[in-house]
Amino acid sequence: MKENIDISVDFAGIQLSNPVFTASGTCGYADELADFMDINCLGGFITKSITLKPRKGNATPRIVETDSGMLNAIGLANIGLDAFIEEKLPVIEQLSVPVFVNAAGENIDEYVAVVQRLAAEKAIAGFELNISCPNVAKGGLSFGTDPAQVAEITSTVKKAVGEKVLMVKLSPAVTNIGVIARAAVDAGADALSLVNTFTAMVIDIETGRPVLANRTGGLSGPAIKPIAVHLVNKVYNEVAKDCGIPILGLGGIRTASDAIEFIIAGASAVAVGTANFIEPGCAVKIVEGIEKYCVRKEITNIKELVGSLEVK
Amino acid sequence: MNTIAEKKLNETFMAGSCSPANKRLFSAVVSVNKQIGRRFFRLELEFSAADAEVLANCQPGQFAQLDLSATALPPAEAIPENLVDVASRKILLRRPFSFADVTVKGDKTFVDILYCVVGPASLRMTTVSAGDSVSVIGPLGNGFCVPEGKSITLLVSGGMGAGPLLYLAKVLTADYPQLEVIAFAGAKTASQLPFEARLDEISQQLGFSLGEFAKYGVESIVATDDGSAGFAGLVTNCLTEWLDRHTLAAKDMIIYSCGPEAMLARVAEIAEERKLDCQLSMERMMACGIGLCQSCAVECKATDSSETTYKLCCKDGPVFNSREVTFSL
Ligand SMILES: Cc1cc2nc3c(=O)[nH]c(=O)nc-3n(C[C@H](O)[C@H](O)[C@H](O)COP(=O)(O)OP(=O)(O)OC[C@H]3O[C@@H](n4cnc5c(N)ncnc54)[C@H](O)[C@@H]3O)c2cc1C
Ligand SMILES: Cc1cc2nc3c(=O)[nH]c(=O)nc-3n(C[C@H](O)[C@H](O)[C@H](O)COP(=O)(O)O)c2cc1C
Ligand code: FES
Repeated sequence: MKENIDISVDFAGIQLSNPVFTASGTCGYADELADFMDINCLGGFITKSITLKPRKGNATPRIVETDSGMLNAIGLANIGLDAFIEEKLPVIEQLSVPVFVNAAGENIDEYVAVVQRLAAEKAIAGFELNISCPNVAKGGLSFGTDPAQVAEITSTVKKAVGEKVLMVKLSPAVTNIGVIARAAVDAGADALSLVNTFTAMVIDIETGRPVLANRTGGLSGPAIKPIAVHLVNKVYNEVAKDCGIPILGLGGIRTASDAIEFIIAGASAVAVGTANFIEPGCAVKIVEGIEKYCVRKEITNIKELVGSLEVK
Repeated sequence: MNTIAEKKLNETFMAGSCSPANKRLFSAVVSVNKQIGRRFFRLELEFSAADAEVLANCQPGQFAQLDLSATALPPAEAIPENLVDVASRKILLRRPFSFADVTVKGDKTFVDILYCVVGPASLRMTTVSAGDSVSVIGPLGNGFCVPEGKSITLLVSGGMGAGPLLYLAKVLTADYPQLEVIAFAGAKTASQLPFEARLDEISQQLGFSLGEFAKYGVESIVATDDGSAGFAGLVTNCLTEWLDRHTLAAKDMIIYSCGPEAMLARVAEIAEERKLDCQLSMERMMACGIGLCQSCAVECKATDSSETTYKLCCKDGPVFNSREVTFSL
């Protein structure tokens, strides 16, 4: 049945067996999901954000559930570059799936330091630059909202990645995401991923205080999907389509049909985030669902679907 | 009183040091969902023979993540006044619940969960009935561990915290017959004790034995803040009084505790003052329960500096040594 269906993707020169990734911060560093699925069945894997030095992260509560979504303010808690190289890289070396390291930092030098140390590692396919984390005081989102800063950090990091693919992760919390996407692409981004979470707040009306210790958090999950689909479509139309830059689309994907919406909107590949928490093996089911859809719609190559949105 | 043989300990409990049976996603069938108190319920889940292997090595203190998102709301009249507003909120994430018992009958394995209705998910949980299936991820986290050379264990629970301690009582009494196990069960008021015993049976006397503990031969002491049953006052005060009245060597004793954070903080303090070993089962809001999201941070003292570090409740815990946890209340 599936023999004549090709769902493999050429993602900025990297061959993916299918278009489904797991999203940064929702799938651990390497093999944390291995009890639930064969990670090598994914199209791609993206690590938790790695910073030069370990980060403790924010105080708790770090999450709160909302209708059809959740807020998180983890604060980029991670083991840091050294521990990542020592403990997690050997595990990643055992994987056949293309692995992207999500890099973050408080200043450009920190991003460069992370990327430089890992650029020569065979096991790593590329980097995702997190310039869109809403939950840290310094760095993060502040890099991602100003086109000039986006250009500067992208071009500087680009020099450090060597042959590796550089993907830039965009924030939806901007007035015009097209301008930011353009800045990243012009500065050398090989791919774009969008969206990161939306800054949001939940208030406990008994205490009159925000529920999260960080006050605000990033909204993710099904609640953000329609906005994310729209933003992917916008960036596809305004930037990515003409320059042939692939988009990794994400935000609220739980099922194959969610994923297909993103692909029709213009994403070459998609990533599953929050849904991993609820059904840790769902990414692999989404791959199967995409395949079935292609069979049903007589699509022989998934490429036909990318950006195929019909507008009359 | 004899001390526990070291070898046996190492075989049975090694919190943090051995990785327990691999976690998995199961589809369990509800066999019982019974109200046992005003807001307390006991859920019994049945697992197939094929799943039994993974559950066979469960440890007391471990927990499971239940998906309650597709569960119906109870009828309007069954919704407590204070939950009317939140009841209709959609559930997205799974919810963590501790094992209160794991039993094997023939080729089936049964898992008991004691739960309390506090919000939209636990409210919906009350509507599942025998025959329904529930998606479960487990077993998760590290359970209680028994260090060498103890002869007396004190189980201190607050409210719903009794669940994992009941399971611990069962395992301790089965595996270490020489060990003396005493349970302290606290609640705000008698009706908030999560036990099946009828309220009129809960005597005003200190020393009343709760059926759930008594069936394992464990003496239990009830404390209620308002004095409506047992000791009048906080369960931690009840514990200190008991410790004052019994002159026992600190090195022979260990405390296991589960309950609200303020209670755990006080238990940790008591253990510190009296140089007692003590393990606490902690709770945090959890998005995943399996170490993916870093949401469940527990602030701990770093071993090599005066700094603190965050450990993950779902993966490094939920059971922590009382000496490592930093409480900020
Ligand atoms: C490891 C672990 C084991 C647990 N075992 C049990 C158990 O055996 N029986 C039982 O009844 N409950 C247990 N809990 C708590 C249980 O998970 C929560 O009561 C449940 O998630 C509430 O969901 P809800 O939608 O009904 O209420 P929500 O609306 O999610 O919460 C209601 C209120 O409870 C508080 N709350 C919710 N979850 C937690 C939490 N994890 N830690 C601290 N406060 C919380 C919220 O802040 C809120 O004020 C356990 C929690 C953990 C982390
Ligand atoms: C708990 C949590 C932690 C996250 N951590 C990171 C992170 O470290 N780096 C990053 O770039 N994005 C992080 N994200 C954002 C996700 O990768 C993703 O962009 C976002 O959640 C939207 O997708 P979703 O709705 O499918 O979850 C995190 C999201 C969640 C929910
Ligand atoms: S709940 Fe996700 S890491 Fe603990």
